[in-house]
Amino acid sequence: MSQSENWVQQLPQNIIIGLEQGSVYSLIALGYTLVYGVLQLINFAHSEVFMAGGFGSYLVVNGIVGHRHMTGVMVPLTVLCGVLSGALTGAAIAWLLEKVAYKTLRRSGAPKLAFLISAIGASLFLSNLAGKLFNRLPNNAFPTYFDINHQLFKIGNAKVTLIEVIIVGSAVVMMIFLDRLVNRTKLGRGIRAVAEDAPTAALMGIDIDKTISRTFVIGGALAGAAGFMFGTAFGVSNLMGFTPGVKAFAAAVLGGIGNIRGAMIGGLILGQAEVLIAALPFVGAQWNDVISFVVLVLILLVRPTGILGERLGRAA
Amino acid sequence: MRNRTLTTITVVLAAGALALSACSSSKKNTNGGGLGGGSSANNGGTNQTYKIGFVGALSGPNAQLGINERNGATLAIDQANASGKYKFKIALNAQDSEGDPAKAPAAATALISDPTVVAVIGPAFSGESKAVNPSFCQASPPMPTVTASASNAELQNQGNKCWHRIIPNDNVEGSQGADWLARTGAKKVYVLSDLSAYGAGVAGTMAKELKAKGVSVVSSGVDGTTTKNYNPIAGTIAASGTDALFYGGYDAQSALLAKALVAAGYKGRTVTGNGGKSSVFTTGAGKAGNGWYFTCGCQDATIAPTAKEFTAAYTAKFNTPPSTYSPEAFDAANLLMDAISKASASGTATRTSVLDALNKEDFTGITTQIKFQANGEVQSSSLIVNLFQEKSGAIKGLGNIKELN
Repeated sequence: MSQSENWVQQLPQNIIIGLEQGSVYSLIALGYTLVYGVLQLINFAHSEVFMAGGFGSYLVVNGIVGHRHMTGVMVPLTVLCGVLSGALTGAAIAWLLEKVAYKTLRRSGAPKLAFLISAIGASLFLSNLAGKLFNRLPNNAFPTYFDINHQLFKIGNAKVTLIEVIIVGSAVVMMIFLDRLVNRTKLGRGIRAVAEDAPTAALMGIDIDKTISRTFVIGGALAGAAGFMFGTAFGVSNLMGFTPGVKAFAAAVLGGIGNIRGAMIGGLILGQAEVLIAALPFVGAQWNDVISFVVLVLILLVRPTGILGERLGRAA
Repeated sequence: MRNRTLTTITVVLAAGALALSACSSSKKNTNGGGLGGGSSANNGGTNQTYKIGFVGALSGPNAQLGINERNGATLAIDQANASGKYKFKIALNAQDSEGDPAKAPAAATALISDPTVVAVIGPAFSGESKAVNPSFCQASPPMPTVTASASNAELQNQGNKCWHRIIPNDNVEGSQGADWLARTGAKKVYVLSDLSAYGAGVAGTMAKELKAKGVSVVSSGVDGTTTKNYNPIAGTIAASGTDALFYGGYDAQSALLAKALVAAGYKGRTVTGNGGKSSVFTTGAGKAGNGWYFTCGCQDATIAPTAKEFTAAYTAKFNTPPSTYSPEAFDAANLLMDAISKASASGTATRTSVLDALNKEDFTGITTQIKFQANGEVQSSSLIVNLFQEKSGAIKGLGNIKELN
């Protein structure tokens, strides 16, 4: 069998793996894009919010499961606890981050560059804090309270495992929820108004500080939940945020930074591109990290504002 | 006013981050120095104190092997100090490089500039060795170094006259491993590297030797420093139709790969080198690690008859049995102390006289007979590669790989 036939044969399985990878990127990318939408600011500490979600849920799940063997209804309940605790930790850290690293700067009308440095400082601080509190091993595995690789069903010759369904399923649910939240609720209208024109929104009676803070919390919750899913699948570590964070940022730009649906699509495209292109016999997995950015550059050449354009925010 | 607030915040944040990272590394350093230093605080009177340096990962993702080695060396030094068999005292100056070629130069400089350090154990990893071996050997006077674990097969050819190694290099390990795989009847082998100096080196040797034996090889690489998700490559490996996989890389990544391979349903034999053989692999991989093979130019301290006393003393001191490269570091420390004692027979030992003595050594350690060739390697008759396998969470020695089928 030639290697290219092999690639075709592997295609369905790789698409599923890419979907899993892409869902995580999308969830993180949403945080970048939401914050960019309201503040025209790249929150470079967002990858550490993702990491914090991983550790937060790790502690909770470890506390619940310990060395016990889980069965029956306890398994989905624990997964739910994991998602919620991850989201809660992510939201709390994002809220704190906004209060400490951004709000003070915003109040004093600091230049954009100061926010960037502040974000990088906060990012280093958080990842080293996690390294100090826990340890610096690259793979603290979650307790195996369920067989994450349990095969649920097959599509053609492609196996679909439990963890893949959990990751893709919860990502889809959260994305629909977010889409509704932004487009249908009062809070969502506030976020869109601040993104559109903050001074006018303030005149219309919207509390800008609160809206910004809530935007951080929403983005943080999504990243925190993604941290739980990523952690369950691949383990948690204090440096786990960096690579997915950079890729998710690329995904947000790819879809059109500031555009929520763009971030979702960008993440999914990047996930697929990485897996499928790296699997090509003449490319190879060692090009994995290059692929994301080649795809990004190629798409930006054709569409400088990303696939769906910068809709939510003003043109930067 | 505005600017002042901004500056304050930035400074506070930056200082916080710095203090935190400094804090964690300084704590590691006092641990390292303190274990040796505490027992030999005797500076007064006739007793001279010499220091042996150590460079390796004591924190960070790949710290386990470095900690194993530091403990082995500490034990040797404490035993020697307690027994009073030398007329001098020895202390350990352990420097944490995190195994990172970018951070090793600072560690090396700290040792070179400490005048009481007369010899160095390490650097522990191959990448950092390539980065700092020249600094050690070009210092004046050159600093004698003995590595107990950096196994890259190019290190001996870099013209570093102060450099020594007491374990088989990756050429020896990779080629004997490949011979064994061929003997097991493997027809097609997937060779994966983590793209590090060590991983790419051992994977390259493995691939070359397999091809020479008529086994067909598929080669690829996955960056071990950035990759967490091994599912895509595991899928490719599972679909490759190979009888065996060799992974050149370190323990934590091997564990992630092992889990992904189980998920992908890979049925072939799974083998990795000395870098994967540690408790980080067994705990990280869980059940997925069962059956993995490890080639290692190292001793199984738990079964080697020569290491019985060492194993008991090590376990008593550190509350954990010795692991990969602990016995080798124990030997390296004893070897250096022997060399220092010979060098100090006629006056005070210096780096130069220790290097001379080291080159003339013929030392029986618990792992092997140590007599150096001109390039810094030990004689080939002393280079033994052992095969290990994980069985339900524990890594067991299977014996000399040359004698196995």
